[in-house]
Amino acid sequence: MEIGKRIADIILMPIVAFVIGLFMVLMLRKIAAKLQRRVGPPFFQPLIDIIKFYSKTTQVSHGLLHDIGIIMAVGGYLAAESLLPVPGMDGLSDKGGIITLTYFLMIPSLGLALGVGQCANPNGSIGISRALTAMLAYDIPFVIVIFGVAWHYGTTDLSEMISLQQAQGWGAFEMPLLALAGLFALQGMMGKQPFEIYVAPAEIATGPMVEMGGKYMGGLFVMQCFQLYTAGVLYTTLFLGGGTHWLDFLIKIFAVVAIPMMIAFTFPRYRTEDMLRLMWKWPVLAGLLGIAFVMY
Amino acid sequence: MSDLSKIPIHTEKHAPEEARTNPLAGVFDELVRFAQSRSMYMLHYCTGCGAIELPPAMTSRFDMERLGIQPMVTPRQADILLVTGYVSVKTLKRIILTYEQMPSPKYVIGICSCTVNGGMYWQSYATAKKLSEYLPVDLYIAGCMPRPEAVIEGMRALMANIQSGETEPWKDYYQRYDYYLGNQQHLFGDNWQTPTDVIGQAQHYGLAGPETEGEHTRILQQYQQPLVAHKLRLK
Amino acid sequence: MSLLDALLLTALGTLIATLATVRTRWVGYVASLGLGLQLLVLFLLAPLGYGAPAVTSGLAWDLFGQPLVLRYDAMSWYFALITLGAGLVSSVYATGAWSDHYRAAGRSPGWLQFALALNVFTMLLLLASGDFLSLFIAWELVSWASFLLMALAAGPALKWSLRYITYATAGAMSMLAALGIVFHLTGSLNYADFMAAVDQWSVGLITLLTVLFGAGFAVKMGILPFHLWQAGAYAETPGPGMAFLGAISSRMGLYGMMLVWVQLIGLIRLIEVHIPLTFLSLRDVLMWIAAFTIILPTYTALKQNDARRLLAWHGIGQGGYMLMGILSASALGSAGGILHIFNYATNQAVLLLAVFAVVYRTGTADLNKLGGLFTRMPLTFVAMLVGIIGLAGIPPMNGFVSKWMVYRSLLSEGMPLLFVASVIGTLGTILSVYKLIHNTFLGQLRLEHEPVQEAPWSMVIPMMVLALIIFLTGFMPGIVLDWVAAVQAAVGLPVLPHTLGGVADAHGGLDMIMLVLVLFAGFGVSALLFYATGRSEPVHQLDNYAGGHFLSADVRYHYSDHFYAGLMHRIGHWYRGSFLWFESVVASLASFLAQWSATFYRLMQPALPMLAMAVIVLWMVS
Repeated sequence: MEIGKRIADIILMPIVAFVIGLFMVLMLRKIAAKLQRRVGPPFFQPLIDIIKFYSKTTQVSHGLLHDIGIIMAVGGYLAAESLLPVPGMDGLSDKGGIITLTYFLMIPSLGLALGVGQCANPNGSIGISRALTAMLAYDIPFVIVIFGVAWHYGTTDLSEMISLQQAQGWGAFEMPLLALAGLFALQGMMGKQPFEIYVAPAEIATGPMVEMGGKYMGGLFVMQCFQLYTAGVLYTTLFLGGGTHWLDFLIKIFAVVAIPMMIAFTFPRYRTEDMLRLMWKWPVLAGLLGIAFVMY
Repeated sequence: MSDLSKIPIHTEKHAPEEARTNPLAGVFDELVRFAQSRSMYMLHYCTGCGAIELPPAMTSRFDMERLGIQPMVTPRQADILLVTGYVSVKTLKRIILTYEQMPSPKYVIGICSCTVNGGMYWQSYATAKKLSEYLPVDLYIAGCMPRPEAVIEGMRALMANIQSGETEPWKDYYQRYDYYLGNQQHLFGDNWQTPTDVIGQAQHYGLAGPETEGEHTRILQQYQQPLVAHKLRLK
Repeated sequence: MSLLDALLLTALGTLIATLATVRTRWVGYVASLGLGLQLLVLFLLAPLGYGAPAVTSGLAWDLFGQPLVLRYDAMSWYFALITLGAGLVSSVYATGAWSDHYRAAGRSPGWLQFALALNVFTMLLLLASGDFLSLFIAWELVSWASFLLMALAAGPALKWSLRYITYATAGAMSMLAALGIVFHLTGSLNYADFMAAVDQWSVGLITLLTVLFGAGFAVKMGILPFHLWQAGAYAETPGPGMAFLGAISSRMGLYGMMLVWVQLIGLIRLIEVHIPLTFLSLRDVLMWIAAFTIILPTYTALKQNDARRLLAWHGIGQGGYMLMGILSASALGSAGGILHIFNYATNQAVLLLAVFAVVYRTGTADLNKLGGLFTRMPLTFVAMLVGIIGLAGIPPMNGFVSKWMVYRSLLSEGMPLLFVASVIGTLGTILSVYKLIHNTFLGQLRLEHEPVQEAPWSMVIPMMVLALIIFLTGFMPGIVLDWVAAVQAAVGLPVLPHTLGGVADAHGGLDMIMLVLVLFAGFGVSALLFYATGRSEPVHQLDNYAGGHFLSADVRYHYSDHFYAGLMHRIGHWYRGSFLWFESVVASLASFLAQWSATFYRLMQPALPMLAMAVIVLWMVS
C-alpha cells in the first residue's frame, strides 16, 4: 500500500467513525424513546449536545491529569479507529491485528480512569472500580471469541478475515456459538443495561462522569460515538463478513448496535457480582463449546 | 406582602458587545447559542412538591427529550438548575453550593409559587422567600403546582431567550456577586462561604464587573479559608 | 585474559572496594562506579548479544578432579545485561538522599551496597558457569547472597529470609540429587557429555531429571507451589534492594530452566514425554503450572493493601508469562518469554523505585493511607504510570510487545485454555495496578501530605532513565529482539525473524513504530481539540460533588479500601489459602519424620548413636 493512501486512510477513518458514531448515538436514543413510547430527540441532538458542552464558558478542571485523561480517552480512540478496516480503507490493520486492537482499546479506558481518579471524587473511583470489574467479566468471553475466530481463519489480521469471509461465507454461520458469546460480550462492552452498574446514576451519581462538565463531558460524548462505532464494526468484521461496499456495511453495523440497544432498554440492572456470574457462565460455556467445534 | 412587581420576570437587555472583527464570528456565536438552547441538561433540585410534575414532563406523555432537555445527575453536567418548591434556609445553602458548581452558562428556573414569594410558607421563619435574592433566577414558573404543560412552556420561553441572547442572568451573578453574597450573608451569617471561588472565577474568565467585589466580599475574605487548587510542583 | 575475566574481576574488585569503604559516606559512589565499570565491560562483550561465539574465561581450575569452566554466551550476556542494569540503577538510587535517610534510621547503607554488589557478583558468576559443578556452586552463592540482602532489615525480614533459605536449601538438595544422578550416569559434570547422553535416556529418567532440576530452579523463580516465600521476603527488603531482587534475582531460576530444560535436555524431549492416563505431555503440564503461576499470584496481588507486597506478588505472576512463552517452544512465543524478562525487569524496577520514593517522602507504603500525591510528586507519578502501563501490557510500553508475542504464539499453536488463562492474568494485573496508582497518586490528597515534595534528583533520575527505556523498547522492540534472537539461537530454539518495529507476519504481525506514531498523532489531535476550546480553571479537590454536602479537609472523601468490592463478593471465597495449608502440611510431615527417625534410632539402636559419638570423639582427639 502506498504511503499517501495510508495517510489519507488514517486521517479519514476517525472522521468517518465519528460521523457514524453520532448517528449510532441518535439511534440509541431513538430506540430508547420508541421503547418508552416517546418521540425522542431531534435529528441533530447528539451533535448539538457535543457543541454545547465544548462551548461552555467556565470549565471545571481538577488539574492537569483530568485534562490528560480526556485527551487520552479521545486520542486513543482516534488512533484505534485506524486499526479497524472498513470498505475501501485498511489503514493500519496490517500493522496490528485483533489482539493489538483489543489492547489499544484499553488506552482510552486507562486515560479515563486516570482522569476520573484525579477528580478526587469517591463516586468516580467506585465507578472505575466497577467498570474494571465489568471489563474482567466481559473480556473473558470476548478473548475466547477472539481465539476461536482467529484460529478459524488462521490469522489475526482483520482485513484478511474479511476477505476470507467474503470468499467462504459469514463467520456467524460457521461459528454460531462464538457469535452468540460475542454478542453477550458486546453487551457488556458497550456498558449498557443490564450491565451499567458502573454508571448507576441514582447510586453513585454516574460514577466516572461525576465531575465531568463542559468539554470534559463533551470529550466523553465523543468517546461514546467511537465506542459504539468500534463495537459495531468489530463484531461485523468478526462475524458478519465486513462489508463489500458502504451500503451493506452500514446496514450491518447499525443492526449490530441496534440489537444490544433493544435488549438494554428492556432490562433493569445487574449487580456487579451477578454480572460476573452471568458473564463467566453462559457466554464462556458457549464460547468454549464454539472453540471445541472450530478446533476439532 | 412583598412587591410583586419587583420579581424579575424579564431581565433588561444587555448592551451589545463590541463588534467582532471576524465575519464568521457572528455565525459561530449564533450556532453556539442555538446549541446551548437546544441542549439543556437539567439538574432538578427537588426541594418540595413541585418535583412530582417533572416525571410526567420527561416521560412518554410530554417527553421533554424532543426539545433536547434531559435530566442529569451532578451539577458539573447540568445547564439548568430547577428548584422545585419551597427553599428552607438549610436547603438554600446546598442550592447555592450546587449552583456555583455548575459550569456557565447556567440557568435557574424557580418552579412553584414557593420560590417566587414563599407561597404557603410565607410565614415560616425558616424559609427563604424569594429565590432571586440569592441566585440569578432566569425564569419563574408559578403555580401550586404548575402542570407539566406549564413547565414545558417555561422551558420553551427559556430556550427562546437563550437563543436570542437576551437573557444572561448567570453573568449577573459574577458581575453583582456582592449583592447576592450580601443577601446570603444576611441569612446565613458572616462566616458563610462556599468551596467555589466565585471572584476568582469571574476574574479568570473576564466576567467581573464593578459590583463583583464590595463590602460583603470583604467580610467573606475576612472569614474565608481560601481553597486554592493544588498546584503541580516539582520542588 | 579475555573480556569475561575482566568482567568477573571488575565485579570482584567492586565487591572488595565496597567492603573496604563500607562504613564511609562514599560507599554508594564506589559501588555505583564499580557497577558502571562492569556494565562498560559488558558493552565491550556486546558482540555476544548479536550471536558471536561464546567467550571462555582464562580463570579455569579443577575442583575434586572436575574442571570448572567459566564461559559467556548470548544467554549469559542477555541476563548479565539486565542484572547489571538493575544493579546499577538500584545502587545509584540508594546512593544520594536515600542513603542519608537510611542512615538516619539507624541502618547501614554500606552493607546494603555491599549486599547488592555481592548479589551482582554471584549472579554474574552463575551466568558464567559452564558445567554442572560450577553451576551448583554459583547457585548456592546466589542463594546465600540473596539471603544476606533479604535479612539486612532484621525484624520480620529475618523471619521471611529464613523461610526463603529453607526453601532454597530444599531446592538445592533436589538439584544435588539431580547432579548425583547425572554424574552416576555420565561420569562427568560437563554440559557436552550430558547433551551427548541425554538422547539415549528413558522417558522416566528425563522426567525425573526435569523435575529435580526444575524444583531447584522453581524455588528461586517462585513457581507454584514453591512461591510462598517470595512476596514476603522481597517486601521486607530495603527499598533499592527490593527493586533489584524484584527485577532480576528470581529470573536466575528461569536462567537455570532455560539452561537445563531447553538447552541441555531440549523441549522436544519434554514434548515427547506423555503423562500416563492423560492426553498431556510433560511440557503441557509445565505450561499449566506456568498458567496457574500467572493467575493465582496475580489475584493474590489484587488483595494486597501494601504497595510492596502487591508488586512482589506480581513479580511471581509475571514469571509465569516468561515460562509459558519459553515452553511454547515456537519462535514467537519463546521470543516473547525471553523478551518479557527484560521488559518485566524494567517495569518492576521502575514501579518499586517509585513506590519507595513515595515511602521516602510519606513514610508508608500502605495503600489505604496515601492518595492524591500526583500534584506533589508528578515525576514519580510519571514513572509509576509508565511502569503500570508496561506491567499491565498495554501499548505503547514494552510490556505489551512481549505479552503480545506470548498471546500470538498461543493462538497460532492452538492452545485456547492457556490463552484465556494468560489473558485472565493480564486483566487481574490491570485491575491491581490501577488500584496501586489510584490509591497512591489519585483521589484525595491527605491533609498531612500537603507539604510533601517531589523525590530528590538522585532518586528521580534512575526512575526517569528506566521510564525512557520502557518507552523506547516499546516503540522499537527490535533493539531488544536482536539480543533475544541471539539467545534463541544459543539455546537451540527456533529464531524469530523480526524488524525494528516488532514482528512481520503475513497473517497478523506487529509494527510498534507505526502504531505508536499513530497513537501519538491521535493524542495530538485530541489535545488540539481540547485546548482550542473553552478555557478551563483548576479547582480545589474539596470543590467537589457530594450531593450538596459541604466537604472539609478533616473528613476523608476518598475510596481506597476494599477497592474491588463487587469482584470480591464473587471471588472472595475462592481464596482458601490452600498453598499455606500445603506448606504447613509438608512442614509438619518433615518434622514428624525427623522426630520419628530420631526416636527410632534412640530406641531400636541405642548402640548406634553411642558408636557414632565415640567415633567423632576419637577422630577429634587423634
